[in-house]
Amino acid sequence: MSDTDTNHECVCAQLSEEELYPRLELIIEEHRNKPHELIMALHKAQNLFGYLPRKVQQMVAEGLKVSLNEIYGVITFYSFFSTVPKGRHSVKVCLGTACYVRGGQQTLEKVGKELGAKVGDTTEDRRYSLDVVRCIGACGLAPAMLVDDDVYGRVKSTKIMEILDQYK
Amino acid sequence: MTKEKKLSITIDNRTVEVRPHLTILEAARTHNIYIPSLCAMEHLPSYGACRLCVVEVDGLRGFPTSCTTPVEDGMVIRTDTGEIRTLRQEVLKLLLSEHPASCLFCTEQDECKDYQGTIRKAGVITGCRYCPNDTRCELQQVTERIGLTETSYPVYYRNFPVEKNDPFYDRDYNLCILCGRCVRVCNSVRLNGTLSFKQRGKITTVGPAFDRTHLEAGCEFCGACVTVCPTGALSTKTSKWYGKPDKEVATTCVYCPVGCTLKLQVRKSEVLDVLPDYNSALDHGFICVKGRFAVPEYVHSSFRIPVPQRITPLGYNDISWDEAIAEAAERLAGVKPDSFLMMVSPQLTNEDLFVAQQFARQIIGSDQIGSPLLYDLGADTGPFVNLVSQSSAFDVIDDAEAVLAIGFDSTYDYAPIGIGTKKAAQRGAVLVTINSCDTNLDMLSEMAFTCGTEKWSALVGLLTGASAQGAAPLFPTWKKDIAGIQGIFKKSTRKVIIAGPGLLAAPQRTEIIEKLLKVKEKGGWDIIVAHPYSNLKGMLAMGAFHGIKTGAIINENGQAEGVKGDLSKFDLTKGCTVIYAVGVSDLDSLPDCDYLIYQNALPSESQRRPDLLLPAALFTESSGTVINGEGRILPVNKAVEPYRSAKPDWWILNAIGERIKKGVMKYAQVQSVQKEIAKTIKGFPGVKKRLEFSRIDVKMKTPKGAPKMRKQGQFNYRGIPLEAVVKGMKAIEERIELISGSNRGAI
Repeated sequence: MSDTDTNHECVCAQLSEEELYPRLELIIEEHRNKPHELIMALHKAQNLFGYLPRKVQQMVAEGLKVSLNEIYGVITFYSFFSTVPKGRHSVKVCLGTACYVRGGQQTLEKVGKELGAKVGDTTEDRRYSLDVVRCIGACGLAPAMLVDDDVYGRVKSTKIMEILDQYK
Repeated sequence: MTKEKKLSITIDNRTVEVRPHLTILEAARTHNIYIPSLCAMEHLPSYGACRLCVVEVDGLRGFPTSCTTPVEDGMVIRTDTGEIRTLRQEVLKLLLSEHPASCLFCTEQDECKDYQGTIRKAGVITGCRYCPNDTRCELQQVTERIGLTETSYPVYYRNFPVEKNDPFYDRDYNLCILCGRCVRVCNSVRLNGTLSFKQRGKITTVGPAFDRTHLEAGCEFCGACVTVCPTGALSTKTSKWYGKPDKEVATTCVYCPVGCTLKLQVRKSEVLDVLPDYNSALDHGFICVKGRFAVPEYVHSSFRIPVPQRITPLGYNDISWDEAIAEAAERLAGVKPDSFLMMVSPQLTNEDLFVAQQFARQIIGSDQIGSPLLYDLGADTGPFVNLVSQSSAFDVIDDAEAVLAIGFDSTYDYAPIGIGTKKAAQRGAVLVTINSCDTNLDMLSEMAFTCGTEKWSALVGLLTGASAQGAAPLFPTWKKDIAGIQGIFKKSTRKVIIAGPGLLAAPQRTEIIEKLLKVKEKGGWDIIVAHPYSNLKGMLAMGAFHGIKTGAIINENGQAEGVKGDLSKFDLTKGCTVIYAVGVSDLDSLPDCDYLIYQNALPSESQRRPDLLLPAALFTESSGTVINGEGRILPVNKAVEPYRSAKPDWWILNAIGERIKKGVMKYAQVQSVQKEIAKTIKGFPGVKKRLEFSRIDVKMKTPKGAPKMRKQGQFNYRGIPLEAVVKGMKAIEERIELISGSNRGAI
């Protein structure tokens, strides 16, 4: 398989997790017995699965000859890596100074309550994952919220469900 | 080799010569210049985490950390200027903003101590000094040296739950300063990889992946992390509240034939803790869980036999040593040589073994000297002791090109051999393992052959080229792998076979041993035997073995013909008049007898009840020597007085022997025994080089009933399972059971 094939965009949405493991094998083969290439391998694995489940970590550990514990240390250190699956849509509530002052915290609480998820979690139907960001440069529209690439300003708690419902 | 050119540097206005490739910190330490540091440590890779070792160097910007800056010729370094002192105090304040500080700063500290005494029995410290590491703490020492007496920052208590679920040590990460010593020692020194930093920022802790316990994550419980921890974050369960030891006694571990140096931490008459010796040339401080944690609880067990005891219909009665010796002498006097049996443990010291064989041969006139080996191995005893006598020094592994490990796993024992093997594999040696389950070496191996023990013989034959007869069809799926390994082995010149304890569980063990010896003879292969019979070489050298006289097996000029022992007439099933068991506790396997003397430290777990109990001193309580698996004579040093009335084994044997036949032994102290041994083994016990052993050819009948197959990972000392007396070993044994499943060790 050529390089472009293993570096492509996340395909986790189209394929079931079981179907992705043969592709992971190919990624591991590229980095076999090369412990110093750990981050690259994890990066590609996350692109493939959307997150790094325990089984994936275990396979990378065996393939690269790195202890599973070290891998876990790396994954929990870098915020880029995630051990929980990401939803189809990312919901990011801004808690920068301006948004915070204008009620960002209440927005976050409301969103969390509506989705039934805590910060960093993904809803059970994998539709949304909830995160916090520190300033997205939309202070004039505070409190602001980001869903995928769309910015919503002056978010009112009553409008939140309306916004979220647009994203299937 | 040319001598390395020394560098000239100036530290604090002193011009000194230092070796190249040192860091500034190391160079300063060799010249007794103190630079405070909490994360740097000898034998660990530099890290630069604590920032306390900052110095000024002419020509370098800012304040470099001395533990990560290498020395250069002509460097001018200042380690103690006013600016550096302020900087270090500030760094330390920040570091302590997450560490409870009452043990560091309280002004009432000294006065408070007088009010901390308690009348409770358990070691409890009252007052606000709740840290188990108090008075032994490096952080306390460094704070004092830096001269910090108060802090302007509030202390943020992280409120992590204290982790107590694993055996042997507790973890309180509220006290952790994240110096990373434990992570580095686990990964870079022990090559184990259980510990890693988890998460980031103020919630960072140390531990294994996910929420697994250390046991599940493959922790060896070698205790290296506890040893290097500069705070009270990691503490040994059994000794955590005991404070500072009075003295340290270096001795040799008798739990396996490696013979690691143990530094016993002694207070009054108690061994509190055991530390490794990182400067030991033999083991480099790579002790295992048994040496690190299983000594104090065993030697201070509450089950120890306190005084000599005699059986009565109502149970055991305490008697004096005089009565006990008189009774034993009376029963032994006039016993027919062939109706006497002396059973000795291969975990006794050389001196004990020597006196035991002398007792049998010269006092009773009998050559009936047996050991648990005969029951474990039966007819395979001969080939096995022959293999052991021809085993190599452990350091052959250091420059090996290929290593074949058979039935060997170094998670919980033989750690120096295991770490040596891992290092070899990391530097490029080809490692191949054969076992019936996963081993801790598989991850680094070129190929891990996991198959039932019944196939090992064929596989060993194929891989080493000893014999390929009819073996290939057994392994259809490994055809390619086997061919590949065969090719590598053929090309390599320095090859090592590690025969682990799993070998003893293989049904065709004799066949495998014969193949190993055959390839060794052909050349290119060295053999290391990792077996559970600690002082087996000592037992053979002392002649505490039927048919082998003291010193007969030592091959001084390397030309001896070999020793022939004949056990074919030695009947282990025939009833006796008297059996004398020294350090042997499986009494149910012994033949019938009228009178059974049991000399050991702990009572036997067997059904059978001995007639006389003689309390023996353990290796922490008496001096002597052992011969390790390489053939080196190593000292066992007395650290504490024997428990209650216990006496060293040689003393008891000597006393009874003297009562029966005057003038044969007359040993007043262990040195006189050693002098007697030196008559046959020249230079004993001062021989520095390895003793060479000659070949042994022992014929042996299988005793009635099939020999028992030893299960891998059953840890015993003097016949008593460690798990019976050492609480944490139970969890270790259960873990081994779980990993090995049903197929390991079974036939």
